[in-house]
Amino acid sequence: MSFRGRPVVSGDVEGFVLRVESISFYGDVDPESGRLYDGRSVSGRVIVAEKSRGSTVGPYVLYALRERGLAPKAILLVSRSDPVLVAGAVLSSVVLVDSLPRGALEVLRDNVLVRVYRDGGVVIV
Amino acid sequence: MHLTRDEERVLAGEYGEAMAEALTVIVRVGEALGAERLISIKHAHISGVSYDNIGEPGRRFIERLYVAGAKFSVPTTFNPVSYDLEEPSSIPSLKLDPNYVRAQESIVRALAAMGAELELTCTPYYAGVTVKHGLSKGDSIAWGESSAVAYANSVLGLKTNREGGPLALMAAIAGRTYYYGMHIDGERKPRIAYYVESPNPLDEAEAGVLGEIIASMHSDERPPMVKAKFSGDPSIREFLAAVGTASDIPMVHIEGVTPEDPGTGVREVVKITYEEVRGKLESMAPEGPVDIIYIGCPHASLEELEHLAKTLEKLGKPRTPIIVSTSRSVYTKLLAAGLAPKLKNLGVTIARDTCLIVSPYTKHNKNVKIATNSYKAYHYLKRKGAKAYLTKIHEHLQTNP
Repeated sequence: MSFRGRPVVSGDVEGFVLRVESISFYGDVDPESGRLYDGRSVSGRVIVAEKSRGSTVGPYVLYALRERGLAPKAILLVSRSDPVLVAGAVLSSVVLVDSLPRGALEVLRDNVLVRVYRDGGVVIV
Repeated sequence: MHLTRDEERVLAGEYGEAMAEALTVIVRVGEALGAERLISIKHAHISGVSYDNIGEPGRRFIERLYVAGAKFSVPTTFNPVSYDLEEPSSIPSLKLDPNYVRAQESIVRALAAMGAELELTCTPYYAGVTVKHGLSKGDSIAWGESSAVAYANSVLGLKTNREGGPLALMAAIAGRTYYYGMHIDGERKPRIAYYVESPNPLDEAEAGVLGEIIASMHSDERPPMVKAKFSGDPSIREFLAAVGTASDIPMVHIEGVTPEDPGTGVREVVKITYEEVRGKLESMAPEGPVDIIYIGCPHASLEELEHLAKTLEKLGKPRTPIIVSTSRSVYTKLLAAGLAPKLKNLGVTIARDTCLIVSPYTKHNKNVKIATNSYKAYHYLKRKGAKAYLTKIHEHLQTNP
């Protein structure tokens, strides 16, 4: 099964989905451990969320994760990207695809293996 | 993206390496968002300066720009840091390691050396930056700090996207940002309106809850419009800070407050009942006594602290200590008005340059029960593992003398 979104920061990556409702890197993710408030790690994962939200400090958290080798591989959103998230993804070279169809949320569940393509395509492996 | 000749010269390094790097990042983000060109800005406000938030990677990021010779090309202010620079012990039981203090100091030094003004506040609009730098309705600025972005767009009629920490820093250096979103008049016109009828004007805590409700309901790309009664400027600030916490919305068109024409594009009206607001607030409220009361997230205004002093004078010194965070600029005015010692005698601790969220306070005070009138503080304190509650502060003070 595959979906097509808008590639904002392009790249080809493969990884396991980490599902969250919405993402704010500041507050939700510990920059030192790469763990979410619920203990799950974002490191090397493909974060799938409906939208981003919250603090404008988020880019620094993403950047810190990149410096420590704990960054996620990609972020996939249903809504359009907020400039805060785009800045974080650009500075940290994390693939960002937005404007995915809403139906993608039903299929892209936790631990599903996906491949993300530079043209914004997302394929379940 | 279309670039002017001057902008191309900046990218080619004719104005130095740091300026070229800053503009390169802005162009990359602008292109990713589909912006056609850049625009000049009149002011920048940088978030992400607390060592507690950004750690070593963030400190290195900022210091490297300074070492590369970066200078801010527009008036620039920045957010609160991890402790009160003037009086590091102002927040009780805050533990500061000497290495930590050195790291925070080096961030502040780098920002000051690049040309920032030392306001150290998330409410630069209370510190007089709009008057000082002649910012008026319609001017484009580049602010980080989600609550200040929402206040600038919605209350001051200034134009800014949610730039985020590093991008506001780059915009301060480049003096430009990408022409996108809130800088474009048409993008500021609401299509969905939210009406709330309440028996009394919404206080800060209720306004914050309303902010969360609207933030979670609203999915249109344009700013929402809101028709509600707010009890005053602090409530409007708390409402907007909550919207900035719970969503990526940069602006709310508030009827009777926002100084611009909302246009005629509203095509849907959503009614929110006061009971919904009240019910949500009750689920966040404390049961029984708390250990401290926290006010000033975002940083409190002078009028708000004058009002607090009046309330406490009537009620007497409360049993629960109160911590207030504000800017050094407002603190100076409090001193001039003779209110700082008065508030201290009434059990109020005033911290400048910092707040409970961006300081390491929660690291060592996980079991302290904190009641606040700020949804934003409530949200982040809880995320940091503290025991936080949202409450109507003036009611709380009256029923818990």
